[in-house]
Amino acid sequence: MFAEKVIELIKEVDRNPDTIDQYNDEKIRQIIEEMHLLFKLNMNDANATTENRSLWTTVQVRHSALERNKRCILAYLYNRMKKIKTLRWEFGAVLPPDIRELLSDDEYQWFSKYSGNLALYMRSLGQDIGYSGIDLTENLKPPKSLFIEVLCVVDYGKLELEDGDVVMLKKNSRHYLPTSECQTLIRQGILKQIM
Amino acid sequence: MESTEELQFSDDEEEVTAETVLKTLQSAWQNERLSPEILPHQNDMVECMLGQIQHMERNINKLSKTDLRTSIHKMEISRIKFIICNYLKTRLNKIEKYCIPILNQERQRIETDTNYLTPSEYKYAQEYVLNMENHMKNVVLNKMPGNMQVFEMNKMAEHPNLQTHVFLKANETINGVVLEDLTGEDEEIDLEEGSQHILQYKPIADLLKNGKVTLL
Amino acid sequence: MEPYEIEFIGENRIISITPNFTHDKIYLICGEFGPFRAGLPVNVPLWLAIMLKQKQKCHVIPPDWMDVEVLENIKEEEKRSRFFTKMPNEHYMVEAKLILGSAAEDVPNAPEIKTIIKDIWDIRMSKLRTSMDALMKTGGGYGRLDHLTMMEINSVKPLLPAAMDNLLRMQMKTKKTAPSLNLNSSTFSQSGSSQNT
Repeated sequence: MFAEKVIELIKEVDRNPDTIDQYNDEKIRQIIEEMHLLFKLNMNDANATTENRSLWTTVQVRHSALERNKRCILAYLYNRMKKIKTLRWEFGAVLPPDIRELLSDDEYQWFSKYSGNLALYMRSLGQDIGYSGIDLTENLKPPKSLFIEVLCVVDYGKLELEDGDVVMLKKNSRHYLPTSECQTLIRQGILKQIM
Repeated sequence: MESTEELQFSDDEEEVTAETVLKTLQSAWQNERLSPEILPHQNDMVECMLGQIQHMERNINKLSKTDLRTSIHKMEISRIKFIICNYLKTRLNKIEKYCIPILNQERQRIETDTNYLTPSEYKYAQEYVLNMENHMKNVVLNKMPGNMQVFEMNKMAEHPNLQTHVFLKANETINGVVLEDLTGEDEEIDLEEGSQHILQYKPIADLLKNGKVTLL
Repeated sequence: MEPYEIEFIGENRIISITPNFTHDKIYLICGEFGPFRAGLPVNVPLWLAIMLKQKQKCHVIPPDWMDVEVLENIKEEEKRSRFFTKMPNEHYMVEAKLILGSAAEDVPNAPEIKTIIKDIWDIRMSKLRTSMDALMKTGGGYGRLDHLTMMEINSVKPLLPAAMDNLLRMQMKTKKTAPSLNLNSSTFSQSGSSQNT
């Protein structure tokens, strides 16, 4: 059946709405191949429709299948772009290798462009008044307390605080740190807030 | 440590305190969080608050670490930074989601000098759409047969739902708000000052932009 | 909006504390507070009160309404009235949660007060559910909801607006087949929940 493969692609995205899967290069290639086939058949038959009106319906159905394939492939890409965007907000401009692997080269390039555009925008904030920009990926939660107690989950190494103090983040060590300075590490799973 | 000095905006004679600006920014944030579409930007308020924060941060550095004021000022700065970041991020999310219609409308608004986006936001939106278009072309569209290759802007556009229902409070009495009725008989209601309602966003969109209602 | 964002907005409310330290006026961006004199009441934003309390630098003076008798009256009134009554302030839940959470020892009869506030919340929530039901049954695209606080409004999101959106969508579809469909947009006042004061 026409446009069947593309549904598998859509189901793939739908299965894990919160995580990103490996980019399905092979399936995309197959779908585009199917499109070329459909297109070719239609080109042949379209020329013949003037003599044979019964072919017209066939051409229409194939055309719908072409449109559907296109629409679904774009939906697949668009959905992945949305997920890739959230990676930028979660991990910053540098992706962990195991996540980087899930993106195609083109997607990684798109990620870099998205990341660059965002950085440019963030740097522009307050520029007129001599501000050096604001990192919008920080301050995501309203402050409750200036300091929080955290547990370090992995051997991370040195962390230099804004006031110049340096703390050593070792696995299973506990720290009392400024809330604003450990949000990113908490999101990355390096630190865990102790309630 | 003075932070309440009078601030002067170059455009008009009105003098505004930092406190008033903060309140305005906070309600701008609240409305932006709750409205389906992007609202006119409040860049003056954001920049004014950034200036205040900068001024305050400089002064904090002069205080000793144990000074009670240090932690109080830092807390207040964190609170204001949260509003600014959340406000700007909420706008970016809408700009990304509705980039195509927003850019189309913004081009017309720029001509009449009634733009909703800041220059930086506008640039961001343009670049965002361009990157999306290029990505889709490179990855799949260019490999598709013949006329299937076209990037159809209107088909890719996502639109905000302006008919969605929102909660609001009237900041002043407004008479004769017209609610569209599907039977063709429109209904008029009055919003008394301080009263609260749930209704469709569309008929009150302009009231919101003029500061006559606040979303809840 | 997330509940923590509404809490954040509620934290701007001004309440009274008794500091145990002395300090000149403090000039904040949101206004000036103090001077602080040990033992003398002074007004500060709720967030600052909680912060000072955590540092053991003050006692919180419970707001007037945080009193068993006052709250019992509010509760009775809420039970009696078909409409939502006006609450002591627009962020009573946030104020109660934060003050009772971090300064319970400063509030006489704190456990009782907690229970009554919870009861008031529950009564109002059940009224809200009834009103929503009535609104939907009358095919409403509009409702009036005076005196509901932001936290209460937030508790019916996204359910109520989403249900109204869907109803509208269905009505638009049926309109094509039945153009004379009679739609009464109802108000909460008609279905029993609001006052014009």
